[in-house]
Amino acid sequence: MTRRRERTLLEGAGHWWRERVTAVALIPLTLWFFASIIAHSANDYSAVIAWLRMPSSTLMMVLLLVALFYHTALGLQTIIDDYVHSARKVPALIIMRLGCLALAAAGTFAVLRIVVRG
Amino acid sequence: MRGSMQEKYGPTSPNIQIYRPQLTSVLSIANRISGVVTSVGAVGLVLWLLAAAAGPDTYAFARWLLSSSLGQIGLLIFMFAFFLHLCGGIRHLIWDAVYGFDLSTIYASGWVVVAASVVLTVAAWIAGLYAAS
Amino acid sequence: MIIRSSNQLPRFVLMKRFPVPRNFGLNSRSRIEPGRSWPVSGKAKRIKTFNIYRYNPDLGRNPTLDRFEVDLDDCGPMVLDALIWIKNKVDSTLAFRYSCREGVCGSCAMNIDGTNWLACTRFISETENPIAIYPLPSLRIIKDLVPDLKHLWAQYKEVQPWLHSKTPEPEKERLQSIEERRRLDGYYECILCFCCTSGCPSYWWNGDRFLGPAALLHAWRWLTDSRDEAPGERLNSLEDPFRLYGCRTILNCTRTCPKGLNPGKAIAEIKKKVMERRGLRWQE
Repeated sequence: MTRRRERTLLEGAGHWWRERVTAVALIPLTLWFFASIIAHSANDYSAVIAWLRMPSSTLMMVLLLVALFYHTALGLQTIIDDYVHSARKVPALIIMRLGCLALAAAGTFAVLRIVVRG
Repeated sequence: MRGSMQEKYGPTSPNIQIYRPQLTSVLSIANRISGVVTSVGAVGLVLWLLAAAAGPDTYAFARWLLSSSLGQIGLLIFMFAFFLHLCGGIRHLIWDAVYGFDLSTIYASGWVVVAASVVLTVAAWIAGLYAAS
Repeated sequence: MIIRSSNQLPRFVLMKRFPVPRNFGLNSRSRIEPGRSWPVSGKAKRIKTFNIYRYNPDLGRNPTLDRFEVDLDDCGPMVLDALIWIKNKVDSTLAFRYSCREGVCGSCAMNIDGTNWLACTRFISETENPIAIYPLPSLRIIKDLVPDLKHLWAQYKEVQPWLHSKTPEPEKERLQSIEERRRLDGYYECILCFCCTSGCPSYWWNGDRFLGPAALLHAWRWLTDSRDEAPGERLNSLEDPFRLYGCRTILNCTRTCPKGLNPGKAIAEIKKKVMERRGLRWQE
């Protein structure tokens, strides 16, 4: 097998596998997030900040952001693969991936800022 | 199919214009659309986190937005889309383990997904109202 | 509500078509225009209206939808019988493929009332009024209901649907246990009518690169055949972002198969084999 064939071999199967792994990871993470949000829906600002500053919450939130935007990027790539065929496909994929990266980074930054500054 | 060869040689038969929507294709496109809507919700999540990080005033503004009638409707839509994508996604994961490919199982699990999404959305909404009171 | 087999008709049809314009996305030479009307004489008692897609390559015009009235007392019970009746008694230029008239050759596959099926095994009494007959979706049309299947056959050839053997030929048969032979059940019966492939939305959007359920079902038929000696090479050629992984598990294929086969399951089995080869096992 040449190296080029190996790269192609990984591409489709790797994407498919990573989409499934992030999906499985997201099931507990999103359910945790929803349960926490509902439980805290009456609380004021300081209570929400206190909850986010808890080490377990911080970790879960960061994991949630990473898994969520990774899964989003993989899913949106599938959609772009299906519907965009012209030369617009490459810029569309790049913008989408950078957008997901930026959003994940912004979210993580916000969480860490809350942890550090309070 | 695309390409200039196609266009030189005559018409293409209609596909989505005439094909009957069935539970299979309808739930599949619903899973995709709910995924996109959930992604928009993810953007909202990041904005909410940024608002919380910016300070109590920005956070109060975010809360006010969410509690407005438009915000509540949006929240409901995002919640339903999320639960539909969650249940549909679990159905996909079960298929990936090569279970449930019998046609009757495909249809039964499909209706379960629809019902579960509605039930979960309503339950989460009620739980939210209860917790807020 | 629960469909148990693909020849089961839904009790009620909520939506006949997706809510898109009639000629949505069709290029200018594919747009369907209103066509001729062919009424039947007044003596007929049981009349049914057939709306049939027509295209004549010699006329240089767009495809049309012609309206035929069929005397149900004069023709047989199947949709194919009605088409032959129309060709004999009304318009002899109507073109369609057919051969065995018993559901085993796959020639008369077409889109009837929005779903792909064989015309010779669909009872007229099970169809709607008026009945809509279109060719298999998303294929280049040669004439009327005759699509060009060249690309589909090329994709079938692509999966190398023959026995690969490296060891020398045995003196008599290649032996296979009952259990091993049972693994072929549900896959060898495929008649290559291409109802599944032409009914797959992923194939509509990416049919040039996605192999489609029919070819992939046969790929699995050969992968799971214990006598085949090249499963690794088969998986190598399949493992591509589009050839195999163009499948989004929409499952229109399983829903529409006129022989009751399960291409969706075959594709899932192939994907599982790919993962097992990469070292993942979750079922011993």
